[in-house]
Amino acid sequence: MNQTKKGLSAKDLIVTGVFTALIFGCIMLGGGFFAAAPALTFYFPVGASLLAGPVYLLMIAKVKKFGPVTIAGVIMALFTFMTGMHPCMSLGYLAGGILADLTAMLGKHSSSKMNILSYIIFSLGNTGSYLAYFIAPESWVRFMLEGERATQDYVDLMSESANTFVLVTMLAGTVLVAALSAFVGSKLLKKQFEKAGIVK
Amino acid sequence: MIQFKDVSFSYSDETAMHNGVQNINLTIRKGECVLLCGSSGCGKTTLLKLMNGLIPHYFQGRLSGSVYIEGHKTADTPMHALSKFVGTVFQNPKTQFFNVDVDSEIVFGAENHGVLQSTLKSRFDQTLHTLHLEDLQGRNIFELSGGEKQKVAFASVYHMNPDIYLLDEPSSNLDAAAIKDLRAYLYQLKSEGKTVVIAEHRLYYCWDFADRILYLNNGRIENVFSSDAFQSLSNVQRIKMGLRTIHLEDVLPPERDISYEKNLLQVKQLTVSRKKQSILTDISFSAGIGEIIGVTGKNGTGKTTLLRTLCGLHTEYTGTLLWNAQPFKDKQRCKRSYMVMQDVNYQLFAESVEAECGFGLPNADQQRIEQTLCKLELDQLKDRHPNTLSGGQKQRLAVAVSMVCEKEVLVFDEPTSGLDYKSMEQVSGLLQMLAQHAVIFVVTHDYEFLCKTCTRMIQLEDGAISMDLPVCQETEAQLRKGILL
Amino acid sequence: MKRRARNESRFDSRCKIILLILTVFTATQAPSLSFLCGLMLLIALFSLFCGKGKAACVNLLVFTALYAIRTLALQMRPGGLQTMILSWLSLMYQVYPCGFMAGIILSTTKINEFLTAMTKAHVSPQITIPMAVMLRYLPTIREDWHFIKDAMRMRSISPTLWGFLTKPALTVECLYTPLLISASRAADELTIAAVTRGVESPNRRSCLVQVHCTIRDYMAILIFATYFIAMKFGGTA
Repeated sequence: MNQTKKGLSAKDLIVTGVFTALIFGCIMLGGGFFAAAPALTFYFPVGASLLAGPVYLLMIAKVKKFGPVTIAGVIMALFTFMTGMHPCMSLGYLAGGILADLTAMLGKHSSSKMNILSYIIFSLGNTGSYLAYFIAPESWVRFMLEGERATQDYVDLMSESANTFVLVTMLAGTVLVAALSAFVGSKLLKKQFEKAGIVK
Repeated sequence: MIQFKDVSFSYSDETAMHNGVQNINLTIRKGECVLLCGSSGCGKTTLLKLMNGLIPHYFQGRLSGSVYIEGHKTADTPMHALSKFVGTVFQNPKTQFFNVDVDSEIVFGAENHGVLQSTLKSRFDQTLHTLHLEDLQGRNIFELSGGEKQKVAFASVYHMNPDIYLLDEPSSNLDAAAIKDLRAYLYQLKSEGKTVVIAEHRLYYCWDFADRILYLNNGRIENVFSSDAFQSLSNVQRIKMGLRTIHLEDVLPPERDISYEKNLLQVKQLTVSRKKQSILTDISFSAGIGEIIGVTGKNGTGKTTLLRTLCGLHTEYTGTLLWNAQPFKDKQRCKRSYMVMQDVNYQLFAESVEAECGFGLPNADQQRIEQTLCKLELDQLKDRHPNTLSGGQKQRLAVAVSMVCEKEVLVFDEPTSGLDYKSMEQVSGLLQMLAQHAVIFVVTHDYEFLCKTCTRMIQLEDGAISMDLPVCQETEAQLRKGILL
Repeated sequence: MKRRARNESRFDSRCKIILLILTVFTATQAPSLSFLCGLMLLIALFSLFCGKGKAACVNLLVFTALYAIRTLALQMRPGGLQTMILSWLSLMYQVYPCGFMAGIILSTTKINEFLTAMTKAHVSPQITIPMAVMLRYLPTIREDWHFIKDAMRMRSISPTLWGFLTKPALTVECLYTPLLISASRAADELTIAAVTRGVESPNRRSCLVQVHCTIRDYMAILIFATYFIAMKFGGTA
């Protein structure tokens, strides 16, 4: 390409777009079920990180520059913001995207360990709004309290159910599942995509 | 004007199937129409890429000599500047649109260049009018047929109004009606005095439009013909050059005595619907081993749906299917039939050719796999990744899979799109070999291939069978009418 | 085939983005449920003006159903389950109007308008190009998935959750290999189609549809903004 090596070329941007679409699809497919079921909402990040690992690693391997992961994070953040999700969710994606991109860059985009770690960080971006829940649960239920009984009962109950167990399971689950997904991804990358000539 | 000054190019990518070009010296005058022909890998596409600047801006490799477009050296001119003079229509209609709706797609190029809104608008209306695309305005591209997508791709180049048009095997995925429209478009360009360079395998629709015909072989321009000289090539010469037919009128079905075991597969009163809307009604026919049945008809008449139903992949239907007079259930059909898709890439899963053949089989018969690969001339490639094979090789690999699994109903969806003469001949031979053990259905728009290969033709029209004929000399007139519309 | 009327009533892309942001603010800061119901009605009205009457009806019905669930949940015995349902509902209430609005906007905005509006708003092409490609590629994923599903079934590999659980390694390969290979191929070919039509051009993009705000756009923004301000300052009183 006739562009400088550092910046993203038109091809890099288009690869990023195509793979972001796939990552988005994977997040919705893996996490959608959890997000829509009341009792399982907290496990959305776990489900969401299940499928995208191989896609993510291939994207990094194809572009090999700083940028695509950040862009994917920004697009996810814009999407969640525009659909009215908790603002912390968007912040989570932004932070996750940038940190994950930096992590991949530390391994020069070709260290499989760093890339797996990068995907774990990216997946933790999914937990943004849920972390906010644990920090301030009462802000979550304020609509429900309108014109109803005393607020205090609910808030007590909320803090009770939002206990450390759920928090730990969510975080540990996300890390584990993301690691597994990325591990499978790096295996596939070696077994299939490098041989197939789609990554150099 | 296009000028090549002693140009050679070789791809640096080892997995590339193309061989590049050597010592090209060529001048194409303004307003000239040039046809590039030659077998696959002869360098046609590489020449086009050199003209539109994709080489050297996009594809890496070793380039010597220089190419000038309207006096600009392509290597020193950025792609966006070149795109004002040169427009390209590519082969695959599915991946060359950037937008979701037709209107945005048509004006995409001019919008990128920042053309004034009023100019955009008037050129847009003119494009729709000249290319007869009023019906497509405002539609979603994902809902269009391959032929319509290709028209939109053409329109999006036409809207930019470049002086030079390059077409890279534009007819590969088109049926006869769409090819007719494409031909009309080419004449439109000619009447506007545009320079047109077209690389094609199917020559019958475009040879007479060309002022010059370049025959390429192994990356060199081996011969230059005028259209008169070209059309008087004898069949023997043409076949030796590896070219598809020039005169469709000369293509005749061979003498055949057709006898095979009938009624092995019976389809009775099949009515197929999709999302509760009926697509095919009251389809009845029977078929046997030894038959190669060409399924034809316009795009969108339900050819693929019919064959997906036969393969047990589409289950929304009423009617009876029998195999050897026994009920032939969805699951059984799925197990015993196989479809070689138009885009074979979707059905290749494994990391090597050999692994592909045994993929998913709990106890694959190694000997059988080796024999099959030998038979299909894939044994030399058995450690390669399927994605690094050529189109024809991928297709044969899919066939190998079906042979290892001993499938008895085989369906081919447009197996000859984009194939040169030799590859078409190979596919034809392959099908005849497979027909000894299986019932074969082929969706095709390719009259030359149909005559060469099929024993029978079923034509679908408006959701019903409108023609069911043996392919032989007596039925020639009807066949021709049926497939060429 | 249906063809959209030429002079279809359309709002300016930038106006739509402002409306969406106003919707997000209103939904996330609404002090009570009744404000959200009002917001839903406003969006339904907007949807009608965009020629999406059916969507307006469906979404209003779903929202009413959500409201009914809340009423039921409040009558339940207080406890962990009730809290779970209520917190989930509160999430849905916030998300629903915005999702509804975003859906209408996505289905009525063409990619070229979006690109042009974004460029006018000085958003970098590093964001706009991937976003446009993403919108273009999402339907392709669905098409690809149908082909892959067929191919798997012909190899007697079940493309279902059950198949995934019983033969994970096999299913993973079947899914990702063709999906990602065709994605790479599509990315290459899309790039070629885009660069040969000048996507890298430094010129400022223009647009077939005139991107400018009309009185209707200002009216719509005025109504949504008034609602937001009324809620902010009048709602808590």
